[in-house]
Amino acid sequence: MTDTLVAPPGPARTTSRPSGLFRLTPTSGIGLGVALVWFSILVLLPLAAVVGAAAAGGWGAFWNTLTDAQTFAALRLTVLEAAGVTVVNAVIGTVVAWVLVRDHFFGKRILDVVIDIPFALPTIVAGLVLLSLYGPESPVGINIVNTRQGIFLALLFVTLPFVVRTVQPVLIELDADVEEAAASLGASRLTTFRRIILPSLVPAITAGSSLGFARAISEFGSLVLISGNTPYQTEVASLKILKFIEGDNQAGAAAVAVLLLLVAIVTIVGLDLLSRRVANRG
Amino acid sequence: MSIEVRGVGKRYGDFVALDDINVSLPTGQLTALLGPSGGGKSTLLRIIAGLESADTGTVDIEGVDATTLPPQKRNVGFVFQHYAVFKHMSVAKNVAFGLEIRKRPKAEVKAKVAELLELVHLSQFAHRLPSQLSGGQRQRLALARALAVEPSVLLLDEPFGALDAKVRKELRDWLRRLHDEVHVTTVFVTHDQEEALEVADEIVVINEGRIEQIGSPDQLYDEPANDFVMGFLGAVTRLGPLVLRPHDIEVAVAPGVPGSSAGVVQRALRVGFEVRLTVDVEGQDEQVLVVLSRAHARALDLELGSKVWLSPTTGATTVPALAVPREAVASA
Amino acid sequence: MADTRQIRAGKGPVTYALRTFVILYLAVLVVWPLWEVGSRTFAPLERGAESGIGPFLERLQDPTVTYAFGLTATCAFWAVLINTVFGVGISLLLTRYRFPGRRLLSVLVDIPMSVSPVVVGLALVLAYSSGQGWFGGALESAGIFIIGTTPGMIMATAFVSLPLVIREVVPVLEEIGTDAELAASSLGANGWQTFRRITLPSIKWAVVYGVVLSLARSLGEFGAVKIVSPGAELRGETATILIQNRYTNFEEPTAYAAAFVLVLASVLALVVVSLIRKEDRS
Repeated sequence: MTDTLVAPPGPARTTSRPSGLFRLTPTSGIGLGVALVWFSILVLLPLAAVVGAAAAGGWGAFWNTLTDAQTFAALRLTVLEAAGVTVVNAVIGTVVAWVLVRDHFFGKRILDVVIDIPFALPTIVAGLVLLSLYGPESPVGINIVNTRQGIFLALLFVTLPFVVRTVQPVLIELDADVEEAAASLGASRLTTFRRIILPSLVPAITAGSSLGFARAISEFGSLVLISGNTPYQTEVASLKILKFIEGDNQAGAAAVAVLLLLVAIVTIVGLDLLSRRVANRG
Repeated sequence: MSIEVRGVGKRYGDFVALDDINVSLPTGQLTALLGPSGGGKSTLLRIIAGLESADTGTVDIEGVDATTLPPQKRNVGFVFQHYAVFKHMSVAKNVAFGLEIRKRPKAEVKAKVAELLELVHLSQFAHRLPSQLSGGQRQRLALARALAVEPSVLLLDEPFGALDAKVRKELRDWLRRLHDEVHVTTVFVTHDQEEALEVADEIVVINEGRIEQIGSPDQLYDEPANDFVMGFLGAVTRLGPLVLRPHDIEVAVAPGVPGSSAGVVQRALRVGFEVRLTVDVEGQDEQVLVVLSRAHARALDLELGSKVWLSPTTGATTVPALAVPREAVASA
Repeated sequence: MADTRQIRAGKGPVTYALRTFVILYLAVLVVWPLWEVGSRTFAPLERGAESGIGPFLERLQDPTVTYAFGLTATCAFWAVLINTVFGVGISLLLTRYRFPGRRLLSVLVDIPMSVSPVVVGLALVLAYSSGQGWFGGALESAGIFIIGTTPGMIMATAFVSLPLVIREVVPVLEEIGTDAELAASSLGANGWQTFRRITLPSIKWAVVYGVVLSLARSLGEFGAVKIVSPGAELRGETATILIQNRYTNFEEPTAYAAAFVLVLASVLALVVVSLIRKEDRS
């Protein structure tokens, strides 16, 4: 590029201008109408139906479903597994991102592609992939079918990219000057990492973790083959919903589904607010 | 009249961008809309082009009421500050765009494109992509593209705002010459008074959504309607009840001129061929800024603490100072 | 390059330890299991039987398998087509027009990604099943059946991949701004001409990118489709459902063969996406 754009002396436009948006024309108005109708048919009405079905029996029925010992055990297992996976990912994901950005070695590009594979694989295939090595006919003698460790492994697999992919760009953009300044002030590499680099990564780690947590809570496909669905032992929320549906208990399914929706939304919103606060403080 | 704007107003929420604007621009004239950023001049230009709609008032273009016409029906050429070139099209394709939309015959398009690229000195770049051009070249491309459809008016929104000082100066001269050649009614927006004074036939000064003054560059400079216009066109200072230019103040080392104000030199700064004095005048809180030639200052033997008597030179351009001095009047 | 600077270039034992850890972690979690799937796909069925590509292709030519892949392709095609048209339209509306509820809509269109696939399936059942759905009765009397039919499966597929095109296109539309489009309209182009000749070429790669992502997601969708589909052989059994059914029925070779095809499709999508990224940057 030969041209360097010199910024004009002042803001060229009034700041109160709502960023160049137009009023709806008849054509775009019709387009908006069609889009909203389709979106309602596909997404909004069905989700409303879930909430409706959960609320149909009243608060008491909803509460009884969720506090039923077996359902509650499934919910607790789901949250605990998801939380554990999130913590592991926050640490290992950051380490992976660090190695991918700062280290240089033969085959690094391949690792970079490997990170995306869990996103790209269909979830049922992800489960099958894990079972081929850690399943009943495992060549290494490990069988994770119907164990909590199996669920943990499956969740680790499907949530691997979240933290890595949010931390990586931040790490690339990080200014070398700051690290050099810290070093010149006598900080060791560990101190520099802990005091200088890590704080600027926290929002990205939080964001990636929140996405990973929400995904882990709602994961279904990869667990179908691995979790044996044993009540109180290896039954997770999404499989519990399936069991309710197959047992023709729509209200029960809807109650758990509403909870999953809620947890996902609260997690995303809550951690988003947290990361904003961290960002503002920095 | 080529463009007739009557009673145009525009608000964004509580913010009044334009308030009852009336202006008529004759055919073939090169007009500058001059004013500070956020003063509403760009909004007015975009309303003329149909890129924004006015809340009140009407816009006529070439005698046709264009108030409710969409931009594509106004036959207006618009040049954006950041060029808005079509990045995926070659230079020639960019220029041809408007003609192709109008379904002109291929041969005619080709001839017209060649002619315009010649006019803006971009012939040798016809098959390049805009990304291979410099900022100044892109802006000339944007001009050629707007001129290709033979618009009845050409509108330029801060056309040189994104360019560096040297290119800006070149393009400015070039725009003036181009206008003398093509003679299309042209309106351009700028916040640079030098640019407006140098290029325009007529200047419309707009501030806070209102027109402060309309006139030729000379009229504006010699007969500013108010202290805002005067302050916007160059440095001003206040002497008693008057606002005037620092070089329009007569300095004497003895009382004599009736009505002259006594003061003490607080600071004397030599910059090149001129000397800038800061003077504390009795009965005035604000310091007075005076500019005089180096030779003159030496002849008066001025130094810090010298007692001086200040008065407007004969024929000085002055406007009355308002009770509350506006920001622009602050000593420059 | 900033990271060639002295402060970052030093390689101590920590660097090598982290590098080894990351390589091992990814190998154990992703690479080795994937390798195992590949080797099982081409392994002989029993000692001495033919191995390699022949039996693999044979398994894929089974009519139930070709039906499953055909159905998956049909669902993916329609879902991607709908999502592309809808996605580009919504993106234009969100970035170019001002209307009440614009901000809300931009949040809502992102929801489908964070909803558990099981909940998606349940939501569609609760809204449109002719037995229990809100609108099931009305649709049934009009002779329309959604749950248990291909349209229902297309809807489930479209639901889960809905935001992918929008997510890619909106940032590009915001970045390119409206100046070029306004310039085109001041040169006499009408809305369609402006879109066709100015906007579309600028968002071309974002759209292709979104389409590839949607396609990959649609081909691999399992949970939502499973719930709205009858899921029986030659009746609503998609490729992913087939993998589950065959695996649980101890027909692992077919399950692995089908899974391998989907793995190939995912890897292909990854390659295409990285090529597009490169193309887009140049």
